Amino acid sequence: MKAGTAVAAPPRMQCRDVTVRFGGVVAVNSVSLSIPPASIVGLVGPNGAGKSTLFSVLSGLARPNAGEVEFDGTDVTGTSAQHRARLGLARTFQHPEVFSGLTVREHITLAHRISTRRSRIWTDMVTARGFRRADHEEVERVDGLLEGLRLSRVAAQPVAALSLGMTRLVEIARALAANPTVLLLDEPSSGLDAQETAQVVEVFRLAVQRRGVSLLLVEHDMSMVLGLCDYVHVLDFGVKIASGTPDEIRADPAVRAAYLGEEQAPEQGEATS
Amino acid sequence: MLGYIFAGIALGSIYAIAASGLMVTYISSGVLNFAFGSMAYFLARFYYYLNTQEHWGAVPSVVVAVGLAGPGLGAFLYLVLFRYLRMASSLIKIVSTIGVSVALPPAASLFFGGQTITTAPGLTPTPERVYTIFGAVASLDQIIAFACVLAVVIIGTLVLRLTGVGLRVRAMVDTPAMTSLSGVNPSVISVGVWMVSTALAGLAGVLAAPSTGLTPDGMTALMASAFAALVAARLRSLPAAVGVAMGMGILTDVIQKYLPVNSSLTNAILTSIPFFVIAVFLIIYLAFSRQVNEASLTGGALDHAIRPQSGSADMAKSSASAAVVAARSGWSPYMLGPVVIIAIVALLPILLSGYWLTLLGTGLAFAVIFLSFTMVVGEGGMIWLCQASFAAIGAIGTAQLATNHGVNPLAAVLLAALIATPVGVVIGLLTIRLGNLYVALVTLTFGLLADTLIFTRNIFYQQGLGVPVTRPAFLVSDRNFAYFALAVFIVISVIVVNLRRSTTGLALAAVRYSEPGARTIGLSVLSMKLLVAAIATFIAALGGGLLALNLQSAVPTSYSTFTGLVWLAVLVTVGVRSITAAVLAGVAFTLLPGVFQTYLPAAWGNVPTLLFGLGAVLVAINPDGQVAVNARQFQSLIVRLAERRNRRSGTGPPDPATAGGTPPPGLAGLVGKASQ
Repeated sequence: MKAGTAVAAPPRMQCRDVTVRFGGVVAVNSVSLSIPPASIVGLVGPNGAGKSTLFSVLSGLARPNAGEVEFDGTDVTGTSAQHRARLGLARTFQHPEVFSGLTVREHITLAHRISTRRSRIWTDMVTARGFRRADHEEVERVDGLLEGLRLSRVAAQPVAALSLGMTRLVEIARALAANPTVLLLDEPSSGLDAQETAQVVEVFRLAVQRRGVSLLLVEHDMSMVLGLCDYVHVLDFGVKIASGTPDEIRADPAVRAAYLGEEQAPEQGEATS
Repeated sequence: MLGYIFAGIALGSIYAIAASGLMVTYISSGVLNFAFGSMAYFLARFYYYLNTQEHWGAVPSVVVAVGLAGPGLGAFLYLVLFRYLRMASSLIKIVSTIGVSVALPPAASLFFGGQTITTAPGLTPTPERVYTIFGAVASLDQIIAFACVLAVVIIGTLVLRLTGVGLRVRAMVDTPAMTSLSGVNPSVISVGVWMVSTALAGLAGVLAAPSTGLTPDGMTALMASAFAALVAARLRSLPAAVGVAMGMGILTDVIQKYLPVNSSLTNAILTSIPFFVIAVFLIIYLAFSRQVNEASLTGGALDHAIRPQSGSADMAKSSASAAVVAARSGWSPYMLGPVVIIAIVALLPILLSGYWLTLLGTGLAFAVIFLSFTMVVGEGGMIWLCQASFAAIGAIGTAQLATNHGVNPLAAVLLAALIATPVGVVIGLLTIRLGNLYVALVTLTFGLLADTLIFTRNIFYQQGLGVPVTRPAFLVSDRNFAYFALAVFIVISVIVVNLRRSTTGLALAAVRYSEPGARTIGLSVLSMKLLVAAIATFIAALGGGLLALNLQSAVPTSYSTFTGLVWLAVLVTVGVRSITAAVLAGVAFTLLPGVFQTYLPAAWGNVPTLLFGLGAVLVAINPDGQVAVNARQFQSLIVRLAERRNRRSGTGPPDPATAGGTPPPGLAGLVGKASQ
């Protein structure tokens, strides 16, 4: 197996030998991967390959049975999701986990405030902030994100009223508003039309180039992954069967077998969020 | 010793029957039936009606009350309510079953008469026939109880394992969606399960009545004991629940052998056994499990796909049509609505006098208590069922401090509320991580425990009179007191509204709508919910203290947990997200029964409670409550009339929170809707 030899800089985030079992089923079997700074790493595999489970482990929503997770060189295996979020990890979900009753703007505002002025969660209660207008700098940043993902038009609508594609964009905007250094994206393009997909790809590229964000991308769409990523890992039935640059992956016989030979894989539904 | 074990087995059998009845509906339809105790009461009351009032024999009475009326009631409730609940969020499920539990006891007294029942007959004629087995005495009632649980377990197992019906039930437990796709109608099976469950409730009720007493409170306590067995079985395994129930029964009777007879300590220990069983298992689960969440237990992939995704998704959907919003910060014209309504309420003390003025003051104190539900249910998205106990702590604390320790009465109210707050925090710490259902279960059990353990102590109880509280001089007149209570209400309302509109409120909403989403942007679900629990506990205790000041005495029995369920029903009927609703609910809660008692025949006295229960049932249809719905309709009418204004972005009726309600429609809507 080829290890992450492509980069010299220490990885932003990595996991080593992560194993997750559900009863007798091994969902993720001793998988290691690393996410270098300012890069886009892809994670692909058929349904039931364990991608979303691995995401849960990386983001702290699930604990692995074995293995470690490191963030910026410190071991975070036992820490909570909210702790990792504070360190600079953000994620989206395969089934968007949005705050249905809040407006699009409120989603972004909240994520932004938590990352920049966390104490306001507690101080606002006693400062009558609820009766005053939001401050200028915050409005600017939120407007910027709304603009970038073309959400301005629906900014004042509660998310429950939006389409799946729009909801996904809201989740991405919320994740970016938290000013992350690592962003985990679980099938960001599913439910989006071609134009919206092109738009989020553009947003991702900008985030990597301008803000130095590292992305880990789970996708079904092989062409998108191979076109966008610097490095790709392939999972099948919980095992990493290949990893390498997009060119190496295209040529890999094991990947071709997994994708062409086992389309009717019997597993249904991953253990996700 | 064997005699104690026999008695324990009999008690355990009753618990086990109740636990099976609760478990089958939870497993098969995902509804934890908080109305189980009231169903048991209703059917046991029917049995009493036939057996004692109409002089039927025990056998025909039990056949009709348990064998016919039980399944009939189950089928009826399934058809009118429970079938709509499967897809609902756990909050809606809990609230609407609580509505049923509030509505059934007054319905029973309408049908069967409202007299107080001191002793309830068992199944066998008195004097009881007794048998000697292995040298120890067992009564026929005990033997019947044990035979019933054996029959339930054996028949249940045989049906589930060996018959086609059993196969379908098991398939439906795993995935109702797939089962219905394979040509089985899940409704037929569900209605059957509910019929069986309700009959079991009746059986447990009839068997338990001689020992627990034929009262809603007694039956609710029976249900809480069964809950302990369910929690121990982690709401999953029926055999485990039956086993724990039997064990609890045996433990309860066997330790009596080693405890002094007729002492208050013995009584205290015995009544707290279910609570300690729950506490022990919760601590074990919190300490040893990586993840406990009831949400992921039932259903298959397809069921998950078509289920609302998170706790309040359906609440959100209903408010989505009424889009919120341009600014949730800064002043908005919509805030005028509540101001107008509070101004109207502020006129009432001038217009009313005497009896009605006293009722108004009480109602305003209740409005303050109701704000604690607005916080914990409306903002926190949790169902706490022991707000009445917190109010009781506030009341008895106020009385103790003011009367026995010479503290200024108003300072005493504040101090007592501060004393109550850590209690709420501790309960929150124990339960919040386990999910909404456990919060409701444990708070209910805690409330019942406090009822029997703390509030019956004579230092607080004073033979039912309660400790007197003297109002400060400037509050002696009822009119002044009403204004004072209104002022307190307004101050807390402003705090609640500010909180809702601030970052804190946004964070709370985030936690309410999606816990994974909230955690991955860096919010701690536990600390947000603990915050809300602490504030709500404080408010409930403050309201309780006010109520004691108003009544000039702290009577702990007026804060029983079952009463607390009625309070919750009243508030969710009117609207749980709105300040306006809290004040209207408070006033309605005292004035409406006043109207019934003054102007209508005595038999109608229970009707308001019945209406409030039905109102809570209706949250299955209107999760926002009636005021919110009416306010929205009123608002959209205004918007239609004033067409010029609706070009604003995000036009539409406002957030129910800040919505201007319409006072008469709110109240009229409540009565009109509930009496349909």
